[in-house]
Amino acid sequence: MSLPAAWLHPDFQLTDAAGTVIAVDLIAAATRLADELPLWGRAGLAATDTRAILIALLAAEARQTDLFLIRDASTGTEIGYRIEGEAAFEVAPDAPDGHGLVWLQTSGSTGRPKWVSHRPEDLRARIAAGQPHARWLLSYAAGGFAGLQVILSAAIGGHHLVAADHASIGDLAALAAAHQITHLSGTPTFWRAFLMALGTAELPLATVTLGGEAPDQALLDLLRQKFPTARLRHLYATTELGTVFSVADGRAGFPAAWLDKGLAITEHETLAVIRDGVQHDTGDRVARVGDRLLFRGRLDAMVNIGGVKIWPEEIEAHLLQLPLLRDALVTPKPNPITGTILIADLVLADPDARAAAEPLIKAHLALLPRAARPAMIRYKTALPTGQTGKKLRVP
Amino acid sequence: MIAQVIAELQRILADKGEAHGPITADSLLLDGDLAIDSLDLATLVVALEEQTGREPFKAGFRMFTTVGELAALFDEAA
Repeated sequence: MSLPAAWLHPDFQLTDAAGTVIAVDLIAAATRLADELPLWGRAGLAATDTRAILIALLAAEARQTDLFLIRDASTGTEIGYRIEGEAAFEVAPDAPDGHGLVWLQTSGSTGRPKWVSHRPEDLRARIAAGQPHARWLLSYAAGGFAGLQVILSAAIGGHHLVAADHASIGDLAALAAAHQITHLSGTPTFWRAFLMALGTAELPLATVTLGGEAPDQALLDLLRQKFPTARLRHLYATTELGTVFSVADGRAGFPAAWLDKGLAITEHETLAVIRDGVQHDTGDRVARVGDRLLFRGRLDAMVNIGGVKIWPEEIEAHLLQLPLLRDALVTPKPNPITGTILIADLVLADPDARAAAEPLIKAHLALLPRAARPAMIRYKTALPTGQTGKKLRVP
Repeated sequence: MIAQVIAELQRILADKGEAHGPITADSLLLDGDLAIDSLDLATLVVALEEQTGREPFKAGFRMFTTVGELAALFDEAA
């Protein structure tokens, strides 16, 4: 069958670990896949890396098949498997066949991600064509929402995308320099590490985009200094509402004047977004400083670690599955690289058994996603309690 | 301070089971020579803050690329 792949620009090129492919090769691969799909019965597609995601997007849309994008390669399968019978899909939704939806996993503290579906046309609706001959580097996980936005931006715009899935920050910096990347989007955590890894290398960046966490002014100033001619912007988005606004003046937070334009502050001093007359409380606390509103963390216990949303109480519950622990308190601590990091204070059931307990605790924490693992463990004889007997959550 | 930064880095790398060559003041932290990422670097900074009681990043992120530069930021914050 031929693919109705009108959105894939003929000039698009992808460079990944397997080399470079061009649009016509991707369409050929997707056509073969679409031809095989009916042989599989009730089929969905699963994809983790950039090349597989693009091929699967094209084939799934042609066949109106559901597509499942997997963030963590360790639970994923390569493109070409059926959904049924794959252990990786225990958490997959019971998606009706033939709706042609794209399912994305949301990040979770304890490795049980939720699936959220999107119509492919909605995912593409926000993509702007952009400048010709742009060269993008993918810093996000290819199968996440932000990663997919970058992939689609490059594919629709006919740009060159460099996607080194699972590369280290040092490798990403080297790739950016080697390919003279012009467009780069990442979390503030990514940008801090990227600046450090880049050192004195020069990049012709035209667009510097930050998302997923609130950037501090020091980072924005460093980026402006390092890339003086680039368009510098930071995005504010939520899982439910998508991208809410983009700030392009190089200053942290956003203008207080925007409160008249679809934004409001709730009685809990959190930011609310007004859509179609309905007020959505984001849970993100804001404070007014002069003519700006600055982000001040969460109203609830959620913490953002390098763009991953973590609930410390879920980490405590995970730890307390171990009978050798009497109590556990997980608290966030600010740090200049990832914004926040977790510290665990642990009380052993048998204080003399620490040597035996440590490797078991370490192995148990290794079951969690990387960002959810406490960076530091302190052993205590008891946890501080308030007058109510509740554990004190203030670090 | 440099010795303290190196000792803590060695501990983090040992914890991850990662081999490494000699670490000096000129070792680059994130250029790929050392098998550490942003979260490891954050762990390093938080551990050093705990040990020294100093907070060189209190006012926000500051650039550093080498072991020596990180140690100097902690020395300055004394």
